Amino acid sequence: MSRDDADSSGLREELARNQETIDRLNRDLAKRTSEIRIIQQISTEITSTLDLREVLEIVLGAMERVLGFRHSMLLLAEPAGDALVVAATRGYAQPEANARVRIGDGVIGVVAERRTLMRVGNVGVSLRYLQAIRTRMQAAGQAPAGDDLVALPGLPDVQSQLALPLLVKDRLVGVLVVESPKSNAFDELDEVLLRIVGNQAATAIDNARTYEMVDRLGRLKRFFSPHLAELIIRGGADDPLKTHRREVTVVFLDLRGFTAFAETAEPEEVMGVLREYHAEMGQMILAHEGTLERFTGDGMMIFFNDPLPVPDAGLRAARMAVEMQERVSTLTVKWRRLGYGLGLGIGIAKGFATIGGIGFEGRWDYGAIGTVTNLAARLCGEAKAGEILVSARVAAELEDLGETEELAPLTLKGFARPVAALRLVGLKSPP
Amino acid sequence: MATLPDEIRAAMQGVVPSHVVTCAADGTPNASAISQVYYVDADHVALSHQFFNKTKRNIEENPQAAVWLIHPETFETWDLELVFDHSETSGPIFDVMNMQIEAIASMVGMKGIFKLRAADVFRVVSVTKTSGERIPLSQIPRADR
Amino acid sequence: MIPDRVMELLTGPSFLQIGTRDENLRPAHTYAVGAIVHDDRRTVTVLVPSARAARILPHLEANGRIALGIAQASHEAYQLKGTFLATRPTDADDRARQEAYRRALLADALQAGFPEEIARPLTQGFAYTPSIAITFRADEVFLQTPGPGAGSRLSSSGER
Repeated sequence: MSRDDADSSGLREELARNQETIDRLNRDLAKRTSEIRIIQQISTEITSTLDLREVLEIVLGAMERVLGFRHSMLLLAEPAGDALVVAATRGYAQPEANARVRIGDGVIGVVAERRTLMRVGNVGVSLRYLQAIRTRMQAAGQAPAGDDLVALPGLPDVQSQLALPLLVKDRLVGVLVVESPKSNAFDELDEVLLRIVGNQAATAIDNARTYEMVDRLGRLKRFFSPHLAELIIRGGADDPLKTHRREVTVVFLDLRGFTAFAETAEPEEVMGVLREYHAEMGQMILAHEGTLERFTGDGMMIFFNDPLPVPDAGLRAARMAVEMQERVSTLTVKWRRLGYGLGLGIGIAKGFATIGGIGFEGRWDYGAIGTVTNLAARLCGEAKAGEILVSARVAAELEDLGETEELAPLTLKGFARPVAALRLVGLKSPP
Repeated sequence: MATLPDEIRAAMQGVVPSHVVTCAADGTPNASAISQVYYVDADHVALSHQFFNKTKRNIEENPQAAVWLIHPETFETWDLELVFDHSETSGPIFDVMNMQIEAIASMVGMKGIFKLRAADVFRVVSVTKTSGERIPLSQIPRADR
Repeated sequence: MIPDRVMELLTGPSFLQIGTRDENLRPAHTYAVGAIVHDDRRTVTVLVPSARAARILPHLEANGRIALGIAQASHEAYQLKGTFLATRPTDADDRARQEAYRRALLADALQAGFPEEIARPLTQGFAYTPSIAITFRADEVFLQTPGPGAGSRLSSSGER
């Protein structure tokens, strides 16, 4: 070959190589650009809402429309921390709402446990292989008997799965999963795309959940102590608004002479007294962890053992009542000097009530209904200023700790027979 | 050293079994099926080690191995010549393989019973895409069943 | 010498893999389509596509060591290890045997749960003709099914 020929063939090679490089760079750039477009598109939609359900819809919708994943699921981590629950799905004949996956079970469970993305393209093949081994190990006594498969949400004959943990800081918010009935359906690019969506989704979901939680917390704090409200949110106590029956101890209180006082005194004076009264009573309700069910003017109803179960509801109620009387007696001295003749009457009863949310969308209240609430109210009505009247059951629960005086059975409105009642004079300290 | 082409990665997803031949120090070959050969990087692959077996024993005596891979879609095949490099019981390679095994094992109640003991990492000495042994898919008649 | 069950699988169908090695103990692989067990139940002939046989024939002629992996789609598997005896060209009977083998392999793979789009190319997609017949004497039989017992030697009654 002449020198010119050698040069020109070398040059041609070099040009060819350069062209390859240029082509590759162009492809990479195109990929980058479309990736950025994807991020922008999803980002705008996701951050436009704080409603959790909407966020989930947007995420899974984007997975299908923008990225072409036909079957996807979003699972959220349960507060208790040992399982995930299916929160939204797309592309499944039977939507598996509320199906649970234990941390560590299957691809989803292992992804949640290890907090790393996982891509598997041979699920069916692997399952058959392991089942064959299991049978042989069982025959050799090396594995426990049984031939079930753990029930997991998703495609029945899934072959490919790609799952990504959704993390905010170092908290697991949930897992995002895409599936396919074909083997080896996903590749490295799919991993990249899923990560992009996942990052957006994790933050948006976390924000939506926090917002929901804060909103709920605010509403719950109207009825319960902050401590209790938080406990309910975190799943430590039952959802109070779900209707249920519970044996509760009910305390009714109201101010003797309040009606007459309200009629004659100036409105500002009435509000002033009420404010002071509520503040003092409220403090004690919180301190004894009672549930304030309602207050109407000077009347208040408090109960114990719901939504947080306690072993000594009767004793708590009695202690609170005694403290309230002590506090009010100080207040009444002050109020008397101002010319108001007020005193606190308290009634305590114990029994089963139906408890739950009463009201309508946008205005739920927490209510308790039952004979026990009527009894407590009537006992309160019978109590003179400074008195605490308790039902026989409450007195029995207090046993030796309660210093009580028996009364003649009371005829109460709404009760066919006279009701046994006792006056609670004081509480002995427990040994 | 040879590098693994991108297109071979689909054959390393465990969709179709692969085959490995090893040889003991006394010259006796051993042919065994494996469910998956794992891609580590362009120059390395890994085999999962669950039960102690002849393949493992042979590798300890003679680190050379021949692997036959089948692409699960095109059914092209590759012959790899490998040399054992090292075994891992922790680290990124082990973790990826372990997670997969754990996920599947947990689905059949075998978590902890069937587990990855080690990831055996091999260097790729040669990669040969075989030719002339495939019947084009279009020429395979459909069965009359 | 070869247990009944292994004979059954060799007669058909099974996925067959051959292992050999060179003078540096470098292993080599090929596949076979079809096998014949001789009346003495020790001698086995495997039918190997010529395209692949070229790799292993020099090994067999040099050191005679051969391993034959016999596997079902269900993962049941065995291995024969033995000594190379001879080769011969294949004839029409061999080809008929190979075709029957392939048909049965497809049915076996589908039965074991492989989807059609994999079972068909996997069992029908590999060239088998022209083939060369490789005969060897089986010296040892091993259980190879994954799980407990894998690798144990089998007696002629099939016991470990």
